[in-house]
Amino acid sequence: MAAGPSGTEALQRAILHSATFSCIATDVHGVIKIFNAGAQRMLGYSAMEVVDRLTPADFHERGELVARAQRLRAEFEVPIEQGFDAMVFRAAHGLEDIYELTKIRKDGSRFPAMLSVTALRDAGNAIIGFLFVGTDNTARHEVEAERRLLDQRLRDQQFYTRSLIESNIDALMTIDPRGIITDVNRQTEALTGCTRDELIGAPFRNYFTDSNRASLIIQQVLEAGTVADYELTARNLDGTLTEVSCNASTFHNRERVVQGVFASARDMTAMRRVERTLQESEIQRARDAAHAQELAEVNQELEAFSYSVSHDLRAPLRHIHGYVEMLRRITRDQLPEKATRYLQTITDASVEMGELIDDLLAFSKVGRAEVVASHVELDTLVEEVIARLEMATRDRAIEWRIAHLPRVAGDAALLRQVLANLLDNAVKYTRDRRPAVIEIGCAGEEHGRAILFIRDNGAGFDMTYAHKLFGVFQRLHRAEEFEGTGIGLATVRRVIGRHGGRVWAEGKLGEGATFYFTLALGGAAHE
Amino acid sequence: MSDRVRHAEAESIRRILLVEDSVRDAELILDALAENHLANGIVHVRDGADALDYLYRRASFEERPEGLPALILLDLKLPKVDGLEVLRQIKGDQSLQAIPVVMMTSSRQEQDLVRSYALGVNAYVVKPMMFQDFVDAVKQVGGFWAVVNEVPEGLRTNEPAR
Repeated sequence: MAAGPSGTEALQRAILHSATFSCIATDVHGVIKIFNAGAQRMLGYSAMEVVDRLTPADFHERGELVARAQRLRAEFEVPIEQGFDAMVFRAAHGLEDIYELTKIRKDGSRFPAMLSVTALRDAGNAIIGFLFVGTDNTARHEVEAERRLLDQRLRDQQFYTRSLIESNIDALMTIDPRGIITDVNRQTEALTGCTRDELIGAPFRNYFTDSNRASLIIQQVLEAGTVADYELTARNLDGTLTEVSCNASTFHNRERVVQGVFASARDMTAMRRVERTLQESEIQRARDAAHAQELAEVNQELEAFSYSVSHDLRAPLRHIHGYVEMLRRITRDQLPEKATRYLQTITDASVEMGELIDDLLAFSKVGRAEVVASHVELDTLVEEVIARLEMATRDRAIEWRIAHLPRVAGDAALLRQVLANLLDNAVKYTRDRRPAVIEIGCAGEEHGRAILFIRDNGAGFDMTYAHKLFGVFQRLHRAEEFEGTGIGLATVRRVIGRHGGRVWAEGKLGEGATFYFTLALGGAAHE
Repeated sequence: MSDRVRHAEAESIRRILLVEDSVRDAELILDALAENHLANGIVHVRDGADALDYLYRRASFEERPEGLPALILLDLKLPKVDGLEVLRQIKGDQSLQAIPVVMMTSSRQEQDLVRSYALGVNAYVVKPMMFQDFVDAVKQVGGFWAVVNEVPEGLRTNEPAR
């Protein structure tokens, strides 16, 4: 083994020429005297370029040296130069000095370096120079940067997990196996009215109206692993009660040992409201259905009633009429005049009642009949109706003034009843006029409906009673004057009403009447 | 042909089965038929069950002479078996379906008309309010279906006219 002086020298040389450390030695003023291979490799200078020319301060960021000088000045309260002085101040005072600095290569690039500064002394302990041993710290920096990045990622991950918990609409809690809350989210704070600090460490059961039931869920979860849709009522510090539905499950560590219970409590208030609304609308629907059923039954009863009226009321009338007639035939010329007149009155009354029954049946039919809408040519309909009145008009002087009438939308059969009733009235109430004038026309439009009218110069009526005109059995004339059942105009109003129109009348006693009604226009007539 | 005419003359009035629960209506109809000299061969029953028993010669009609009526005047609303059911059975039986059936009723309800025609009624008459109209209607119905109308040989009555 080479342990002699020449061996030591070789070692010293080897150290000095090591490529791993930069060894720079200066004189007491900082002028570089030794610049080893490591220094040359790290900094990119050759020894020739720096020895006796540069000082180690030249390889450093000026700002860092200024900052170092300031720190040292603050520490030692003596003036310190910010260049080389700052680098060696501690070493010159016999203090250990290892610090990190940024070094600048010849090409201007920078790298972090650890620098150890030692004062070199002669035999009399006087400083004769300084030794700077440096290592490239880049690798360590990179490791540190990576660790910082990992830490950041971990923090991000934690933040993310936390934000998931916090942004959940349910109140979330972790509870340890003894039932003590270990973590909560903001929704739990809102639900209970307590802060996170208050909640953590407190028993889960304290925050519900039925604490036994609250304890039970923890017990059940610990036994079964999960519990779903467990209903509890949370009690807020301010007294508010909230119905919640809880879902809970156990959570474990890596060794599959149960750590506690993770529970969510969902506010069911909105859900309950929806359920109640649904329930109410269900009840309403049932009520509507029952009502419709009732209506259908009433309609059916009406149907049966009118059927029975049609059959059973007519029969006895026919009998009255028939037997009077038979009586008249077998007593021909044997009865006093008065008795004959009585028989005639019985006959008239029975005929009248027959008409009344027929009109009532027609009226009730209008209420029940479906309106089958089509295009109706009023011109044609008026013609038909007038033709049917031939019996009543045959021996009468009637001046008909019929304007061109529009085409309307409606049920032809029902509208025929309207015209028949109105024209029949016009003919009846002009009985005493010579000539009778009956006018049929169109007085314009309102809301897309034609205003039609039938005017006569007949008996008219007192406007005071105009409101009574269209009521069932309402008559403004005595039966002796003008026969009638008092149902015709009620039928007219009902038909027009079912067509969405309106009907009204104007008149003056002794001067005639005008009946108006509106009907939806039925589009252009095809020529 | 001439034989047939002679036959028809010999029994110029063939039997009419009147199915009518109302005594009054029956009396009015009988009176109207009498007025028109059609009343001789009338058989009056008062409900649908009796009408069918008569046609099938069963129960209280077991002993009646053979033969079928030339015309059935049928009321719609009847006790026990109603007019529509009687009509359905007559028109559903090959041995009876050729007998003309005229519904005579108070009702001009559309559904009754529709159902009657669906079951094959030959005519539907609403009993008129006025007695004279009633007499005229009975005269026309009875006169046409019981006198003028020709029926197949098998339906001719064997029962001597009373």
